[in-house]
Amino acid sequence: MAGRRFEYFFREVTTGLRRNGLVAFAAVSTTFIALLLFGLAMLISRQVNLMIQATTGNVEVAVYLTDPVNPQTVESLTSKLEGLPVVSNVDYETKQEACDRFKEIFAGQKALVENVDCSALPASLRVKLSDPEQYRQVAAVLEGQPGIERIVDQSRFLERLFAVARVFRVGGLLISFVMLVAAAVLIANTVRMGLFARRKEIGIMRLVGATNWRIRVPFLVEGLFESLVGAGAAILFLFTLKVAFINPLYNKILFIPWVTNRDVVAVIPWLLVAGAAVALVAGLAGMRRFLDV
Amino acid sequence: MISLQHVTKIYKNDVIALDDVNVEVEKGEFVFIVGASGSGKSTFIRLLLKEEEASKGDIFVAGKNLAKLTPWKVPHLRRNIGTVFQDFKLLQDKTVFENVAFALEVIGKQKHVIDQRVPEILELVGLGDKLNNFPDELSGGEQQRVSIARAVVNRPLVLLADEPTGNLDPTTSVDIMRLLDKVNRIGTTVVMATHDQAIVDAMRRRVIELDGGKVIRDQSRGVYS
Repeated sequence: MAGRRFEYFFREVTTGLRRNGLVAFAAVSTTFIALLLFGLAMLISRQVNLMIQATTGNVEVAVYLTDPVNPQTVESLTSKLEGLPVVSNVDYETKQEACDRFKEIFAGQKALVENVDCSALPASLRVKLSDPEQYRQVAAVLEGQPGIERIVDQSRFLERLFAVARVFRVGGLLISFVMLVAAAVLIANTVRMGLFARRKEIGIMRLVGATNWRIRVPFLVEGLFESLVGAGAAILFLFTLKVAFINPLYNKILFIPWVTNRDVVAVIPWLLVAGAAVALVAGLAGMRRFLDV
Repeated sequence: MISLQHVTKIYKNDVIALDDVNVEVEKGEFVFIVGASGSGKSTFIRLLLKEEEASKGDIFVAGKNLAKLTPWKVPHLRRNIGTVFQDFKLLQDKTVFENVAFALEVIGKQKHVIDQRVPEILELVGLGDKLNNFPDELSGGEQQRVSIARAVVNRPLVLLADEPTGNLDPTTSVDIMRLLDKVNRIGTTVVMATHDQAIVDAMRRRVIELDGGKVIRDQSRGVYS
């Protein structure tokens, strides 16, 4: 039963694709471009975040402590900072944790990780401010306290970086969203053309008692197939771009972390889900009112 | 088998197609629905298939109240009803065998069932030697036989025929009527809308006459007028 049903759907889908090849091609290529932009937006945003992390550790105010660290110093500084209303959170990062974080950020660049002795990285208190404008209060409280190597205020810098990251992400997502809508319209069109070309067959199917899903599924699968081919091409292209442009940078620009293959892989499910969702929505929209019993 | 109780059908443009129609058709009966064009014959057929909903009244087909049938159960109703039309509705790019097989395929019947039943039913309608011909290689009468074969291959309880001889010459029409009679004799209830006077008069079966949407005559062993 299942085998026969599969054979039936498979045959319906392939004849459908053959029949409107050109429109199907347009749908596939639009989906490809839309999903490629979507993937690029995600990877660029990931890259920007990696850079932000590497340069600032995502921390607004970093209080680097002198080596070796006295646990009592940590405790008294922490309670002092937590006493301030503008401080929303204080975290203590040990030398070991600083080292681990370094290794994680630069996971893609083995040469860097192996050649840097990360015991050189200092322990720190990482302070989050509820209002970055009030940094002075923090500086005032810590003034003259023992055990502090250096205080770095990155809050305004961070804010700007995140704004840049947001522009990339939102801009990329917006463009890809517009493209995805275009892709959806084209897929809906192939589905509708398919329905129109086969309206006589569909009429007979309804008369002899074929269920709605039996009639619809081949058309939905056709749309799904088109968008997934587009998604597959987008994924391949993203990998190609990454290998062609990012890989050479690994050993040239050492102190910036670059997106890795794993980051590209992490984007794949999003592309597939977006592609499938677009195809299903487009398919159902394309066959609305055409197929009600 | 079929029961219409005080059925009225008013279309959106206020045309009254059927007006308080009461009809009972028993299992195994052969019924002609006659009347001029626009008298409501086609609406009668469409209501039984639930292609249209009655505006008022109840319709029962094969024990089911059509008004209470949810949309996803309509296909199962239609599996119990075969339909034949004036224009045959055959798929030109499929052979005779494939056209009939299509009706079983799309309701999920298995291949061995199809391979057994389709030649059997085509033998019954007298096309056992034309399995691999395409519709445009057949005469009108032969094409209508294919469409009848398709309508009954799933062994429906009811066969609805809307002007099945409308496109055929008188001799061929007689052949088609013989075939419908044969289908009726193996137990299928047949409801046929027609305005072919000669055929109705020759068959001497139950005649229901519609005029302006009303039943003006319901006569067993009747004639056209």
